[in-house]
Amino acid sequence: MQTGKACSEAITGEVRVRIEGGLAHFPGLAKEQTVSFNDLGLPEREELTSLADKADFFGCTPANETARPDARTYTVGLTIDGRSREIRVAEPIRDPALARLVSVVRRLSKQQAVAR
Amino acid sequence: MCASTHRHSLHCILPPYILSQIAENGSPELRAIAMHSLLIDPTIRIVRASTAGPVTGTIARRRSAAGNVLTPSPLRTIRDAGGEPEAPGPIVVRREGQGPTGDVAVDEAYDGLGATFDLFWEAYQRNSIDDAGLPLDATVHYDRDYDNAFWDGTQMVFGDGDGELFNRFTIALDVIGHELTHGVTEKEAGLVYFNQSGALNESISDVFGSLVKQRLLGQTADQADWLIGAGLLTSAVNGVALRSMKEPGTAYDDPVLGKDPQPGHMDDFVRTNQDNGGVHINSGIPNRAFYLSATAIGGNAWDQAGRIWYNTLLDPNTRANTDFAGFARVTIDVAGRLHGTESAEATAVAEAWTAVGVI
Repeated sequence: MQTGKACSEAITGEVRVRIEGGLAHFPGLAKEQTVSFNDLGLPEREELTSLADKADFFGCTPANETARPDARTYTVGLTIDGRSREIRVAEPIRDPALARLVSVVRRLSKQQAVAR
Repeated sequence: MCASTHRHSLHCILPPYILSQIAENGSPELRAIAMHSLLIDPTIRIVRASTAGPVTGTIARRRSAAGNVLTPSPLRTIRDAGGEPEAPGPIVVRREGQGPTGDVAVDEAYDGLGATFDLFWEAYQRNSIDDAGLPLDATVHYDRDYDNAFWDGTQMVFGDGDGELFNRFTIALDVIGHELTHGVTEKEAGLVYFNQSGALNESISDVFGSLVKQRLLGQTADQADWLIGAGLLTSAVNGVALRSMKEPGTAYDDPVLGKDPQPGHMDDFVRTNQDNGGVHINSGIPNRAFYLSATAIGGNAWDQAGRIWYNTLLDPNTRANTDFAGFARVTIDVAGRLHGTESAEATAVAEAWTAVGVI
């Protein structure tokens, strides 16, 4: 466990997310978004690290569920201090910690995409 | 205790099991009287009060036997997720029969569920999603900046939108109807959510979502805008809606969202691995077929064209893997059965599918 690094500004890594599904298909939103930790503030990096630990992102067994109509499927990749993993998760996300992690990843990646 | 002011020998004297027999087997007059007595029986009243919803089984059969058929009504519950990614939301904010809350998302969800229930019951005599009075639950204010709405198999989930590209997802009545119709399709044809069967699944939701809106607005086929999700996109987006059933591919063309990718003809069918094989893309083709059918038939689209599509959804020849051509054949067959094979309705449906290149 490397949770002790959550308080350090030296946390390195990146977030990747690709969103499929939803009520409509928007070509402009269907691309994978990548956010480097270098572009995030310390609070965001700490939050991501903390949520990844709470959700056991690097150790959990993916549910492997198929999304229901209009629900979204998220392909989320995290690299934090050398640990790296990508999982695919479909809505509704029943695990509260994972749901919160996906929510934060989604919003951060969108903020970055709009800023560009 | 007898609460009736009318003194009839059936009141107050006969035990419930005999009243039940009369209610099922007696003459029309005696059946009605027996039913009245049964209905004022305290135990039945307790059942009615405790369920506050559709009553099925023995009681429903007895009411029906006495000609006392209750009109189904929706049983809605709206919950608030409070901006958390949690559904169902932890707080119930509006139950069936309660007045508006002042929270626009709550009240739009409540009204939208009701309008959808009304279309399916009043136009097609379908009692809720499962045709057995399934309660209609919804969670609003789901997550933060959440740009979506979906049916999770048990409830509707609505995001508030991000305010930049999307407004709240309860704003569009047809979107609410669209999502609930996914539940209907799941209960009936069970169209697999992939490739052409998935695009049909999407199209059927667009069809009945649009009909919910048209019916509430009192619009004929010629008067309707045939847009799905009008009002969802903010003013910052160059677009009017999520999709256009009338002119697929014209709903938006925006630097951020991209261009509406929907085709309106089989010549432009999109083969893709994205979007479950293009379920939200190629649905433009059957969407336009319905639009052409409805406008050719004329009048209220939910009456004739909607009935043909609804019966097609229930038809045993519409299966989980039915493709566009298979679905088209069933709609033509259904139109023929309902109106005659040489009827204007059957002709309109056949010509519509031909116009979009499916048959």
